[in-house]
Amino acid sequence: MAATHPETALVPFIRGELTGAERNRVAEHLERCGQCRESAESFRLMLAELAAQLDELPAPEWGAYRAQLRRKLAARNQPRERWWRIPSFGWAAGTAAAAAAVALVLWLAVPGFRPSAPPVEQLALEQQEDIADVGLLRNYPVVQRLDLLENYDVIEHLDELQPPAKPNHAMRS
Amino acid sequence: MKELTDEELCARVAQRDQQAFELLVERHQARAYRLAYSVLGNEADARDVSQDAFIRLYESAHRFDGRSRFSTWFYRVLVNLCIDHRRRGKWWSRMLPLAGPGDDPDEPGIDPPSEEGGPELEAIKQQSAGRLADALKRLSANQRTAVLLQVQEGLSSREIAQVLDCSENTARVHIHRGLATLKKVLKDQ
Repeated sequence: MAATHPETALVPFIRGELTGAERNRVAEHLERCGQCRESAESFRLMLAELAAQLDELPAPEWGAYRAQLRRKLAARNQPRERWWRIPSFGWAAGTAAAAAAVALVLWLAVPGFRPSAPPVEQLALEQQEDIADVGLLRNYPVVQRLDLLENYDVIEHLDELQPPAKPNHAMRS
Repeated sequence: MKELTDEELCARVAQRDQQAFELLVERHQARAYRLAYSVLGNEADARDVSQDAFIRLYESAHRFDGRSRFSTWFYRVLVNLCIDHRRRGKWWSRMLPLAGPGDDPDEPGIDPPSEEGGPELEAIKQQSAGRLADALKRLSANQRTAVLLQVQEGLSSREIAQVLDCSENTARVHIHRGLATLKKVLKDQ
């Protein structure tokens, strides 16, 4: 039964990590289980093979590696320059802030800098002028019949419209 | 200074001793690079991330409290950086998933002890470095890291558990399944 095999304890057993009761239990199991003995042996070989082959992995030139590391470390240890401490940027930002403050003071304190609401009399006068302009429009016949605009057929055939009938003076007289 | 232990050197690095730092780097550069290379799969990333780990060591040496071995502490820093790096490069993590099949310790084993061991042993003995490196890529990141920490650094299951921030039993499962997968892949090749 696979469930009774101490699978995950095999590598610690091989490496001598186990102690006491656990070590004895695994040792006893290995004496009677050929599968686990085989697994333990294959694990032992694989660990040895891996150890040998890890040394063959590509590696950088260590002098250059350490030089690059020193540069990175030096760059991190340099005090970081804050944008507001950059001289040119600082002057520009300071000047802009001062100008904005002066403009705000002027806007608040000097009436000429702030658009003020027109007096009531001026508003009334302007309103009368507007009404007079509308009155002029009433003199145009087309404008008088603005309801015509609601009928697009009429607009399309505007040239076919008959002129308004003249008052019949004869009948009046 | 060369006779000082890693832990003693780390204490000096905490006091900004450049010479101690250089010595620690020289001692661990190859293993740190190999571990990063094995997890990340390419030279440029391995160089960058392992260097970042040394920078982290320089800046955080005062946090090493000496309760574990220096190597356990340092490789935990390195592995975390590798994991962060892989998370940033999502396209790469899709190819080598962080949590791969078999990472769950509650899953049934993928490769119970085989009845036929002879041919497997012969096959294992005959594997070339290239084939083994390719086979390593078939492991999940946790399995690969656990196996490499065991093989390369000689860390125990308990120390690997500290590095991977998991239980000792889970670390054992990662190692077992990693080796079982390697065996199966090499047998199929």
